[in-house]
Amino acid sequence: MHWASTFRSGAFRFALLLAAVFAAGSTAVLIVVERSISDYALEATAGSLQSEAAILSGEQREGGRADLLKAISRHRRAGTEQQFRYLLVDKGGVVLTTDFGTVRPGLGWGSVRVAENAGTGPSVETFKSLGVRLADSSLLVVATDTYDIQALRRELDDFTILCGVGITLFALIGGYLVGSLFMRRLERVNLSVGRIMEGSLAERLPTIGISPEFDRLTANLNRMLERIGALMEGLRQVSTDIAHDLRTPLTRLRQQLESVQEARSIEAYDSGVEVALIQTDEILAIFRALLRIGTLEGGAGRQRFERVHLSEIMDRVFQAYQPVAEDEGKMLTAEHARKTVVEGDGELLAQIFTNLIDNALVHTPPGTRIVSRLEMRQGRVIASVADDGPGIAASDRPNVVKRFYRLDRSRNLPGAGLGLALVAAIAALHDAHLELEDNRPGLAVRLIFPPGTATH
Amino acid sequence: MKLLLLEDDDSTRAHLERTLTAAGHVVDVCATGPDAIFLASSGEYAVLILDRMVPGVDGLGVLKALRSAGVQSPALFLTAMDGVHDRVEGLDAGADDYLVKPFAGIEFLARVNALLRRQPIVEVVTVLRVADLEVDLIKRTVRRAGRTIELQAQEFKLLEYLLRHAGEIVTRTMLLENVWSFHFDPRTNVIESHISRLRSKVDRGFGRELIQTVRGAGYRIDALG
Repeated sequence: MHWASTFRSGAFRFALLLAAVFAAGSTAVLIVVERSISDYALEATAGSLQSEAAILSGEQREGGRADLLKAISRHRRAGTEQQFRYLLVDKGGVVLTTDFGTVRPGLGWGSVRVAENAGTGPSVETFKSLGVRLADSSLLVVATDTYDIQALRRELDDFTILCGVGITLFALIGGYLVGSLFMRRLERVNLSVGRIMEGSLAERLPTIGISPEFDRLTANLNRMLERIGALMEGLRQVSTDIAHDLRTPLTRLRQQLESVQEARSIEAYDSGVEVALIQTDEILAIFRALLRIGTLEGGAGRQRFERVHLSEIMDRVFQAYQPVAEDEGKMLTAEHARKTVVEGDGELLAQIFTNLIDNALVHTPPGTRIVSRLEMRQGRVIASVADDGPGIAASDRPNVVKRFYRLDRSRNLPGAGLGLALVAAIAALHDAHLELEDNRPGLAVRLIFPPGTATH
Repeated sequence: MKLLLLEDDDSTRAHLERTLTAAGHVVDVCATGPDAIFLASSGEYAVLILDRMVPGVDGLGVLKALRSAGVQSPALFLTAMDGVHDRVEGLDAGADDYLVKPFAGIEFLARVNALLRRQPIVEVVTVLRVADLEVDLIKRTVRRAGRTIELQAQEFKLLEYLLRHAGEIVTRTMLLENVWSFHFDPRTNVIESHISRLRSKVDRGFGRELIQTVRGAGYRIDALG
């Protein structure tokens, strides 16, 4: 990875953001700490000035001015470094003793700047002073240097800056580490997506980890890949089916056209072309059915669902077929529950029953009874078409709903083996359960709609 | 009475134009949506035949534009799109009929003719008459040569549709769509069975057969004579 891209990377931005937040937070905390510590130091100074002033006032009260001056000089000598400075002025304004040179600090709190000649050379120091009026009306000023406080402040400032920078750096590094960990995991997912795009369709995305939400995301994406895979497999199957099963009718069409070429009379030519047209229409019908099954299996059409009157649809199909059944010497009857409503596509549902009754008519001998039934059982709508014809062997029942599957005995009958496949596709689109059962004798095809489809 | 044909495929356009011309129609042809809009805006065409998928503005867009511009000519959509949804979309856009490719020439002509005969002003017809056959749409009675004929609901609907298109060829697909609302072809001869029942009631014993079979196409009510 290049440096430039490192800085542009999500990890770096994440780290930067984290560092900024930490920097702001720690700065605020350190400023508060620094303020309260220096306030505390100032208060401590003020306290010691007050107690020194109180002690000296006590000396003056008990032993008069002489004791006071003695006490002052004693205090001056105490310790290696002089802690307090003093000024005593009597009520006439005569300076009795001073540590401030010419400067005259007054009553109450104040600050005094005094030139010092301590070791390293002349310097100006700031003193905090407290002036009190003694019992004999003279003025006593006690002062102490603020050097320690300032030093403390400086050190606190240094500490604050150091800590702030440290924390920020720490956050920057930590953020970068966490961020790049995250990015590395995303990168793994990205690489995986790339491989899938390049064709390794069986591959699935690795989990991102870190949090359950991310894992849910990859799990969902994987489910999406499964679904797409299944759809693609379906499409592949359809194209393979088309390639295989259209070969036969196309071969027949080709032979037909060749024989038309050899026709020697206009009548033979005309009838030959007519047969070729019929064969072409059959091929187109297969195409149409396959396309429809394909789109239905893809789930297209569900967005057009509405509440449809299944009773009315089944009545319509029944009425359309009754004369056909009669002409073929079969008995078609209807037992339709009234006003049954389901959620679905009316046109597709009509096609289901058309195909089922069509099948029952085509695959049974004369004299067969066919019943189209619609009923409500345990809150579920059940539609069925049953006949007492030859039926389908139990072992064959799962096969007949497959595309192009035909029973041996019906190979010479019209059709391409797509009728039930289309029924199954439409049923699946409606979440309806399709059952093929032994009608003892005959076949019963039952369509059980999901619960919740109510009667009006 | 001119027709407008919008079709982008050269060979299909030539073929359809030949089919229409041979049937005695006058046709203007174009290959793009904007051309169709330009030509049809005049409103001089009796029927618009629009291919659904053409480059640029497609048939759907052309029809929407024309309908919003007030062009009322009936329109027939030609399309390779077979989905239920596609047809509904086409009809919603203002098409009067919808024909899925590929189709037989005779089916195409029958649809165009049905649109041509459509009366622009819908006058309320209560009685349909052809020769000595009389159908009262309000009382729902059928009489031929003074004799009352009992028909079932489906048979009545079928006869009504045939009579409304008297003299024209009506294909099986048109009957399936308009009488039974089936937009797919059943394998078995649903239409044949119903027609034969209708014939046995309406035509048998009356000398002249009004319901004629047009070979390879459909049926026609003989309006002449």
